[in-house]
Amino acid sequence: MRSRTPLPLWILAGVGVVFVSLPLVALVVRAPWDDIATSLRGAGASEALRLSLVVSLTATALSLLLGVPLAWILARSRIPGRSVLRAIVVLPIVLPPVVGGIGLLAALGRGGVVGQWMYATFGLQLTFTTWGAILATTFVSMPLVVLATEAGLRSIDRRYEQAASALGASPRYSIRRVVLPMLGPQLAAGAVLAWARALGEFGATITFAGNLAGRTQTLPLAVYETRLSDPGGAIFLSLILVVLSIAVLVVMRDRLTQAR
Amino acid sequence: MRRVVPLISALVLLAGCGGTVDDTIELTVFAASSLSTAFTDEIGPAFEAQHEGTTVIFNFAASDALAAQIQSEGTADVFASASGTWMDAVQDDPGVSDRQDFAQNRLVIITPPENPGGIGSIEDLANEGVQLVLAAEGVPVGDYSREALTNAGIADEAEANVVSNEEDNGSVVAKIASGEGDAGIVYESDISAAAGNDVTAVQIPDDVNVIATYPIAVVTGAPNADLAADFITYVTGPDGQASLEEYGFMPV
Repeated sequence: MRSRTPLPLWILAGVGVVFVSLPLVALVVRAPWDDIATSLRGAGASEALRLSLVVSLTATALSLLLGVPLAWILARSRIPGRSVLRAIVVLPIVLPPVVGGIGLLAALGRGGVVGQWMYATFGLQLTFTTWGAILATTFVSMPLVVLATEAGLRSIDRRYEQAASALGASPRYSIRRVVLPMLGPQLAAGAVLAWARALGEFGATITFAGNLAGRTQTLPLAVYETRLSDPGGAIFLSLILVVLSIAVLVVMRDRLTQAR
Repeated sequence: MRRVVPLISALVLLAGCGGTVDDTIELTVFAASSLSTAFTDEIGPAFEAQHEGTTVIFNFAASDALAAQIQSEGTADVFASASGTWMDAVQDDPGVSDRQDFAQNRLVIITPPENPGGIGSIEDLANEGVQLVLAAEGVPVGDYSREALTNAGIADEAEANVVSNEEDNGSVVAKIASGEGDAGIVYESDISAAAGNDVTAVQIPDDVNVIATYPIAVVTGAPNADLAADFITYVTGPDGQASLEEYGFMPV
């Protein structure tokens, strides 16, 4: 096997690996390990970590709740303008997150198109709240669920469902017992990607929800705020994010997608 | 591979072309973000007009970030800082010459035009439920804001009202202009007519205000030290000072 791979491929792949991993190694090298305890405490690591987990997991759940039905419509229904709809739904993947944040402000901020009404009628304000951070994060991570789920749905042979319904299964029963089990790995892959993206979300969150420790300051925001006043603390916060993201991408992805 | 190699060579050639073709002198000025409109709209073009063949390149960011960049990359000719602290840092490493103070800036409270928090004075920032947006600690304007709140005797109450610690002055203005927060504290220059933001200013009395003094200097090792000194002469001269005043700064 190995001898069949041409040497230039090995070399270029090697350069690629070094390019991506060098900054991570440099973080480990530069971290002031001697005062790790004081650094972590000073940078408010546990508070930011807790908030990051709350925000990213809730955003992933919301992404699944809204993204899976959306993927279903995109994959299965014959509505007009479907490709335009898909482009709009997937847009946050390519959009700079800060643009998403400005858009969310214009829509759901206290002075926004819809937010104005929400505030006047219910006294409901999303900006500067944890829910604001969750919504901003959902905005950027939901498209990953939609894309993965739609691809999964398209790859499923519809004859299984036809067979189920010929055998007397209701549509709801066949979704639950036939489609969802076959969709499982793709759904899990989408959820894990969305979760990993949610952990790293920065631009939309700081623009829409602001930056306050314990309320909207997730790990990436904490890294940004401490990077000048406490560079050592910022490195440790970054390393927490790196370890967490690797754990999500490697462990969870392998476990969920290869279980079958 | 056969198709990729020419493509890469072409890209390398293209990249090599940038900036080296003409013989203009590039003066690199690292300046605090609060100076950006005054420097890009007036002072930069006026200086270029006086010095033919010179292009002034500005790098605007928070002064602390600029000091860190100068220390790690060292490519600046001129450093214009929003606080003496960060000029001191650069003076220690890599060193500066020709240092002088060239402008002053006052803190001012800003509210959305409809003033939802009913802010009429700095003491009102202590009222319960006021949504206060400040720049983060460590950012000069963030530190000065907290100093003014301490001078007014409402440091703790105001800190409890903070809903967001923003990364720079512009972000504070943006959060207030969009109506999200009830009040913010920024430099007067951030909301000068030229900045064109939709906010209302509430003055902070002189006895509690923190007036920022801006130093400027030639960075040691500057590629164009003579031109850098000329730039400082222009900024501290009558024309430069007049431009700065127009943009909300006070002369020194």
